[in-house]
Amino acid sequence: MKIYYQNTYTYKFLKLIAHQVKDFLSTLGDIIIYGLEFLKGLKHFNTTPKDIIEQCSRFAVSSLPITLTIVCMTSIIISMQVAEEMVKHGGGNFIGMLMAILTVREEGAIMSGFAIISMIGSSLASEIATMKVTEQIDAISVLKVNPVHYLFTPRIIAGTIMMPFVVILASTLGIIGGAIAANITSELPYKAYFDSVWFGLSLKDLYVCILKSISFGFAITLISCCCGLIAKDGAKGVGIATTKAVVWSFVSIVIIDLIFATAFFY
Amino acid sequence: MGIEVKNLKKSFDNKTIIDDISFKVDDGRILSIVGFSGSGKSTVLKLISGLLEKDSGEIITSGGDVAMVFQYSALFDSLNVFDNISFALQERKDLRNKYTRKELEKIVAEKLELVGLSGIEEKFPSELSGGMQKRVSFARAIVTEPKIILYDEPTAGLDPISSTLIEDYIVRLKNETNAASIVVTHQMSTIRRTSDSVLMLYNGKVVFEGTPDELCLENTDYTKQFVNATIDGPMKMN
Repeated sequence: MKIYYQNTYTYKFLKLIAHQVKDFLSTLGDIIIYGLEFLKGLKHFNTTPKDIIEQCSRFAVSSLPITLTIVCMTSIIISMQVAEEMVKHGGGNFIGMLMAILTVREEGAIMSGFAIISMIGSSLASEIATMKVTEQIDAISVLKVNPVHYLFTPRIIAGTIMMPFVVILASTLGIIGGAIAANITSELPYKAYFDSVWFGLSLKDLYVCILKSISFGFAITLISCCCGLIAKDGAKGVGIATTKAVVWSFVSIVIIDLIFATAFFY
Repeated sequence: MGIEVKNLKKSFDNKTIIDDISFKVDDGRILSIVGFSGSGKSTVLKLISGLLEKDSGEIITSGGDVAMVFQYSALFDSLNVFDNISFALQERKDLRNKYTRKELEKIVAEKLELVGLSGIEEKFPSELSGGMQKRVSFARAIVTEPKIILYDEPTAGLDPISSTLIEDYIVRLKNETNAASIVVTHQMSTIRRTSDSVLMLYNGKVVFEGTPDELCLENTDYTKQFVNATIDGPMKMN
């Protein structure tokens, strides 16, 4: 009777669901535990400025070209699509405002987040996962050094510091890209565009953007490091850890974005 | 005093991996743990080093550090040899800031000389052969002057000459540090050349305990099968 049930599709489906739920809860638990361990480690801060600068440069240099390109191209595409319609309906003077609000409040941060996850998050997760499956993490533990403090601290600090700079730079470029697209497609003068940019933006937009970027930087680096550290089963495990880091980071920044939008603009 | 293990037990997912094993290794002595793959040898080392939590039993040591040499060296590939060897001295909470850069350089040079690799401080692990990586990992292990040194298959993947060299260094490190050493190995040459005593595990239990000579001479089914490397015998591969 037992074998009969085990061969049914319902049983296999439920088993798969149960496995996914267990994996989700276990990953969430690990992220919380390692996150707390990281915060605890800040008390005995031992990371050298050299380590943090190294991670910052990795963060900025490797991700900046792709991030700026993605945000700028997205702004150009949006501006191309809305500028013509707005000019046609007499709203040409508000294109700059629309693009500024859209870019600073949403697009700049979220698209930069996606780019950073692809470039940095995946790289952090695979680096730490490789260390895990090659016993380097065990070696750190045997040498009585806390791997969470040693590996996470410079990476998370670098991510949290660098993300706002990347987002502000990308958003600025996005707004400029929007102006160029609006000028080319709808012949909207640059002055009209930038006048309305200042009209639409407030200081609140700027500090919410910075706060959100800091949260994104923290979440992406923490999740990526955690997913790397919980990797197992050799090369396959490195692949699974990297995928998990990317998926969890994507979901987390969308949730953080929703929280910010609800808290500050709803 | 070295290390004494009493009635050690460990299970994973209701499967018993280490089943009530006991042994003792005195300072300056080397115990080899042998057995088939999956017999629980590496688990014993991980329990002693604290990488795994034991279910029950006792691990009594004379204090001091426990060092471990990993099967594939486990050198930090983003750090050069100097930083690999001095890692614990630079990063450990109780040791950091204790040594100046000059002192670290002196300690690393001494340890490298001990394993016959002077002058490679600036090289990265990827620039070293498997045997050299292993010796650098020896140097990293002894940098904190441990009282217990654990070797997880130290000659795995090495050619016979490199293996012999590694075996000689295991003995040399024991003489230099007077540490109690435990070597997990499959190779009879490692057992003969390095060990004072041998423990054979099968299915998590001790099936033989004695000297290397007794392992070769004693006519139990387990020892005969292991020494002659035959498939037929009481030990079945899973």
